[in-house]
Amino acid sequence: MTQHTHKKDVVLGLGNVLMSDEGVGVHLIARLSALKKNFPHVDFIDAGTAGMSVLHLIANRRKAVIIDCAEMQTAPGTIRRFGPQQVKSVKTLTHYSCHEADILQIVGICRQLGQSPDEIIFFGIEPQTVAPGRALSQTLADRLDDYVDAVCKELT
Amino acid sequence: MHNRVNINVHHVTRVEGHGNIVVNVADGRIETLQWQVPEAPRFFEAMVRERSYEDIQTIVSRICGICSITHSLAATKAVESALGLQVSEQTDKIRILMHYSEQLQSHILHVGYLAAPDFFGVPSVVPLVAIAADVVKTVVRVHRVANEWSDLLAGRTTHPVTLRPGGLTRIPTEKQLRQLKKTLKDTVPDLKIIADAVLSVAANIPKFERQTEYVSLKQTNPPTYSFYHGGITSTDNNGQVIPIERWHEVTNEYVCPQSTAKWTKWHRDCYAVGALARFNNNSELLSPMGKDAAKMFGLKKGCCNPFMNTVAQLVECFHVVEASIVLIDQILSKGLKEEKVTSAPRAGKGAGCVEAPRGILFHEYEFDKDGNCIAADICIPTNQNHANIQKDFEKLLPEILGQSENEIRLKLEMLVRSYDPCISCSTHMLNVQFVR
Repeated sequence: MTQHTHKKDVVLGLGNVLMSDEGVGVHLIARLSALKKNFPHVDFIDAGTAGMSVLHLIANRRKAVIIDCAEMQTAPGTIRRFGPQQVKSVKTLTHYSCHEADILQIVGICRQLGQSPDEIIFFGIEPQTVAPGRALSQTLADRLDDYVDAVCKELT
Repeated sequence: MHNRVNINVHHVTRVEGHGNIVVNVADGRIETLQWQVPEAPRFFEAMVRERSYEDIQTIVSRICGICSITHSLAATKAVESALGLQVSEQTDKIRILMHYSEQLQSHILHVGYLAAPDFFGVPSVVPLVAIAADVVKTVVRVHRVANEWSDLLAGRTTHPVTLRPGGLTRIPTEKQLRQLKKTLKDTVPDLKIIADAVLSVAANIPKFERQTEYVSLKQTNPPTYSFYHGGITSTDNNGQVIPIERWHEVTNEYVCPQSTAKWTKWHRDCYAVGALARFNNNSELLSPMGKDAAKMFGLKKGCCNPFMNTVAQLVECFHVVEASIVLIDQILSKGLKEEKVTSAPRAGKGAGCVEAPRGILFHEYEFDKDGNCIAADICIPTNQNHANIQKDFEKLLPEILGQSENEIRLKLEMLVRSYDPCISCSTHMLNVQFVR
């Protein structure tokens, strides 16, 4: 079983791969995992729609890099790097379900519990299409290499 | 008593899926009292048609994001029954160990994140962090252990990839199993912290009782507090156990206008499934720590307070951890060996049954000679609890009508949550035929 007590870095890919660009985080984890040997200090985790499980996936890490589809009012395909303090969530939460989580809220809980990673970096990727479908839109698919480069740069 | 109460909870929070509570009281008379399920159907039984027997467990694991291992196991058992496949003792034990991981993962999620806020009197886990940070930290720790335990055996936390009809595509190493055993032993003190915390607020668990029928698996050879093997029994069945192939005689599914999920009934007009049902049918078979936990809360066989289902889940957390430690020793004592998974298609029909964290789960499939699915029927636990929830409402509301509207709403919501319902899983479509 994975030992998280040592301070390894983690890259989490979030999203639902059945909703095209919404799953871009997970698509990127598949690409990044192939480069694992270059990053022995990093766990690459497909967190899918993990909800509250994100809490223990990031707890006590040195650095957590979280990749997710994000509506940022930018052009589709745009990737932006930001810290949790640079944004505020405008997502309306109903607390209907443990799957329905606000990642920023979970990061907040982690901080309140005193288990926050030393550094948290988000990569938000503006979607072209969020609709039922397993493939990424052409716009995002064409830029996957750029996204991989951006995350790798963050890990070196 | 209030002359006028109007409650429309649309939808109940901290449950999986969408359910509504509708209450109308006029002139002190209850005019409407309904537990409604408006969730859209999911079509899984249609989705698997014409798919190979090898793909079924992978597809139906997607029914749920919480108990996906359970759905995969029920499907795998049903497919193996249909195709006449036997699995080795090693495979059987590793699957049971995998199944235990999901019981812990799901129960701790419900007890810690969904039900605990009710007991502590806060609306969600977020404010709970402020008043009980150490307890939440402990819940996070146990949740991690359970998820990583699933990772190890199922290949993923959610939606397992190691299950195949006839066996497993990957087994853990002996070293990994020894580490898991150590981790589970280390988890026991954490479970005690959580149990102590729940006990400290146990006075907030409503004291409500209603006699009903409790249905679960029962394994007699050898006698086991079973989540995986055995037949079907109930508290109304005089201790008799019926084979899982006869599950339709138990569920008797029917359509109810207030629900997109079908309802079920057996000896009465409703029955309950889940941790309390398992406890009521099998509590004498709990592990020593499971029995101690039950004693701590005064939970006894025959309990008919549905709010105690959450406590029964906590009891089962102790049981599955202790039973798993024993199981790992049994597996290690025989030595692990790689086994080749082989299967071949043939025409047949088979049923598979396991206990999901929320209660007994039935899968049934029929295949043609090429091993392609021609019919599927799935009945999930939350379906089986809907009628019971409605009947609980009908007894509970008159007893609490003197309370404020907010208190009534909270009690009814807590009642629904105590069943740990997975409403999205429970909705499935009526029988339809596609015109080609």
